[in-house]
Amino acid sequence: MKTSKTMLQKVGAAALTALMIGGCSQSNPASSSSASPISVLSREDGSGTRSAFSELFQLEKDGQDLTVPDAEITNSTAVMMATVTQNPNAIGYISLGSLNDTIKALAIDGVKPSVETVTDGTYSISRPFLIVEKEGAENELAADFKEYILSDQGQKIIADAGYVPIANSGSWSSDGVSGSLTVGGSSSVTPVMEKLAEDYQKQNDQAEISVLQTDSSTGASSTAEGVYDIGMLSRELKEEEKSQSLISTPIAQDGIVLIVSVDNPVDSLSKSQVQDIYTGAVTDWSELN
Amino acid sequence: MKPSLQTTAVLQPVPLTPSKPRKKARVNLTEKKTDRIGLALRTLCSLAAFCCAAILVGLILYIVINGLPWLTADLFSWTYTTQNVSMMPAIINTVLMIIATLAIALPVGIGAAIYLEEYAKPGSKFVELVSITAQTLAGIPSIVFGLFGMLFFGYALHMGLSMLSGILTLAILVLPLILRTSQEALHAVPTSMREASFALGAGWVQTIFKVVLPQAATGIFSGVLLASGRILGESAALIYTSGTLAKAAFNLFDPGATLSVHLYKLLNEGLYTHQANATAVVLLAFCIAMNLAQKMLERKMTKGL
Amino acid sequence: MVSSRKETWLQILFAGCAALCILSVALICWFLFANGLPAIVKIGPLNFLGSAHWAPSQGHYGILAMIVGSICLGLGSALFGVPLGVLTAVYLAYYCPKKLYEPLKSAIDLLAGIPSVVFGFFGLVVLVGWMQKVFVGSSGKGILCASLLLAIMILPTIVSVSENALQKIDPSFYEASRALGAGHDHTVFFVCLPAAARGIGTAAILGISRAIGETMAVIMVAGNAAILPASILSPVRTLTTGIVLEMSYASGLHRQALIAMGAILFVLILIMNIGFFKARHRNG
Repeated sequence: MKTSKTMLQKVGAAALTALMIGGCSQSNPASSSSASPISVLSREDGSGTRSAFSELFQLEKDGQDLTVPDAEITNSTAVMMATVTQNPNAIGYISLGSLNDTIKALAIDGVKPSVETVTDGTYSISRPFLIVEKEGAENELAADFKEYILSDQGQKIIADAGYVPIANSGSWSSDGVSGSLTVGGSSSVTPVMEKLAEDYQKQNDQAEISVLQTDSSTGASSTAEGVYDIGMLSRELKEEEKSQSLISTPIAQDGIVLIVSVDNPVDSLSKSQVQDIYTGAVTDWSELN
Repeated sequence: MKPSLQTTAVLQPVPLTPSKPRKKARVNLTEKKTDRIGLALRTLCSLAAFCCAAILVGLILYIVINGLPWLTADLFSWTYTTQNVSMMPAIINTVLMIIATLAIALPVGIGAAIYLEEYAKPGSKFVELVSITAQTLAGIPSIVFGLFGMLFFGYALHMGLSMLSGILTLAILVLPLILRTSQEALHAVPTSMREASFALGAGWVQTIFKVVLPQAATGIFSGVLLASGRILGESAALIYTSGTLAKAAFNLFDPGATLSVHLYKLLNEGLYTHQANATAVVLLAFCIAMNLAQKMLERKMTKGL
Repeated sequence: MVSSRKETWLQILFAGCAALCILSVALICWFLFANGLPAIVKIGPLNFLGSAHWAPSQGHYGILAMIVGSICLGLGSALFGVPLGVLTAVYLAYYCPKKLYEPLKSAIDLLAGIPSVVFGFFGLVVLVGWMQKVFVGSSGKGILCASLLLAIMILPTIVSVSENALQKIDPSFYEASRALGAGHDHTVFFVCLPAAARGIGTAAILGISRAIGETMAVIMVAGNAAILPASILSPVRTLTTGIVLEMSYASGLHRQALIAMGAILFVLILIMNIGFFKARHRNG
């Protein structure tokens, strides 16, 4: 007992010391020639990003989720990005608006994801951002804010944040509607909604808008219950949510981007290759092409 | 003992860094030959202690090096916008959260400690039950507190996602900590003080409030600092109770994120990594300050006695 | 008369404060079980606890993989954390030069105060990167990585409880051993350390229960796949991370199942605590 303890101790101590010394330097990229098992990253079951991703790549069949069971799961875009940055063998997916230059976005079927390609429809891996309201809820401020979001000004904010504007209902000017508004829901929509709310409040100082970050499902259910005045969703309404007398309005389109490390030689994948990777049909980068 | 033989057999052939200069042993008069197993084990111990220290230093250095360059004045603006990603509202919320939580947990914790130390017969069923439950409370993971807070304060009592839900949840979470430290502080007050007070004709109440509590104040305050540190670092229990809104919540029925929760939120979307690193530095600085204050108090206490 | 009535009231008030502890635990029990048990009944206790197939959107609610995951990480962290912690405690108690004692002790206490979110991010960037280098081809996240991080996080608990246990040993043990001719080192390791075995056991239990309850750090380094782990490099999901990952999206039975997971976690910790309390009582 004690023997194993001390031996282990030695290993542990040596390991930890090495960690402190070696941990600070960056990891070396794996060479592409040798076998390099793909490390698949996905989002948690139920997240708007995952359900949109599964739908677009047909990872759900007859109610069965085909995603490889040992795929790493995270509930955070930052963790996804940090993991991919470090690991040349990893692949994951994030929202187009979160993309930065620490990682590489893959072209799908030869099309690079960008605001332009999503707008003209050549990059098809995208999902809508919705806002929902309860039917019959008369709220002047909510109506005005919605009008603002769909106007030129609002859509410009959306485009500046890296998402794809979809509406263009002319210009908007403040009527000075006063009151307070609670907007809540999807964590994917929250960052851009915060920007919209800030700009709106700059132009209409009578209004106070709180943006609560929860998730798409809560966004829908809380709006139906009247807790939120406006709900945010990063996916389409489900059937059971539609029956709760919610009206949805798309405010933007968001591309879903497959990301790999900048050290990964792969630049482009076909839709079926992505499908193979996420269903586990292909488990090594060398098996591709 | 048998294990010792085994250890000898295995450990003797291992050549363990003989060149390492070691500190002279404290008591070494009777040892004639150098005890090789002893030396090995002692080296191992020093190595372990060194590891612990190295881990901490590495952790702190890592956070500071990554965060300090991004620490700008913008991060301390009064209101949060997506431009400045200010942590000021979160700092205000943290302070509010600490004060309000302690305002609830402190009287209850001290009251319970007074009962256990001054009134209750030691070994009674009630005392035992309270100790067991306090022990249990202390061991419950914070995520379970979070779930409970959401179900009880949030839904059952209709407080929703609000500072108040978070405060009440945390009050239960730190209660055992305050109870234990207060109890220890009260216990340290010599019985002779109480007896002297009684002899002078004072009642229980007078004795407790005028004699025992002032004596135990430093110890209790040390518990307060420990509890504040716990509140400062808490995130799992707060996400489902007080929410992640980056806005100073002066109205306790509003949701509001504390610094830890704010950091968690910043890390979550991946848009503000630099600001998250800087926020981590500030959070760490608060932790260290709290810890040092508590250490100093403890030192003062041991010197005072 | 008046004052004695006041005193009685105060005594009742103080007793009420103490009773609040009991009330809190009772409330937590009640709310977790009232919300979680219906889900367990609906899913079927055997399906819930005995199946490792977790796919809520397809109606599979088996949490076995997560229970196993929690236990793996509890034991894994103890494997690294207990030896390291106990040896550090021995160093503090018997070898540490006086000048070094205070700074070292403060450093270890400080480790206890660092928020788990901070630990998690440190682990994600430093520890995971290092694991990738050692085990080429692996993702770095998994049981081993999470265990190492947890071992660091439970160090303060193990060090302080073990050191306490070592210091409480009757000094006559040490003196007797020395009088019989044993050296300082020999006495420390073969007399004092075994004498404190029970205290060290307590430290291990406390450490494991803290590791099992840890959430925010584990979520970043464990990989979180809800599968039965095949090796020490397998990604693993624990009860705590299972709750946090999906709570915000869950509704209906899924949500109840997550609360039921919280209840199971609560029971797990409760069992460990009662064991610990009993052991301490027997100890006197």
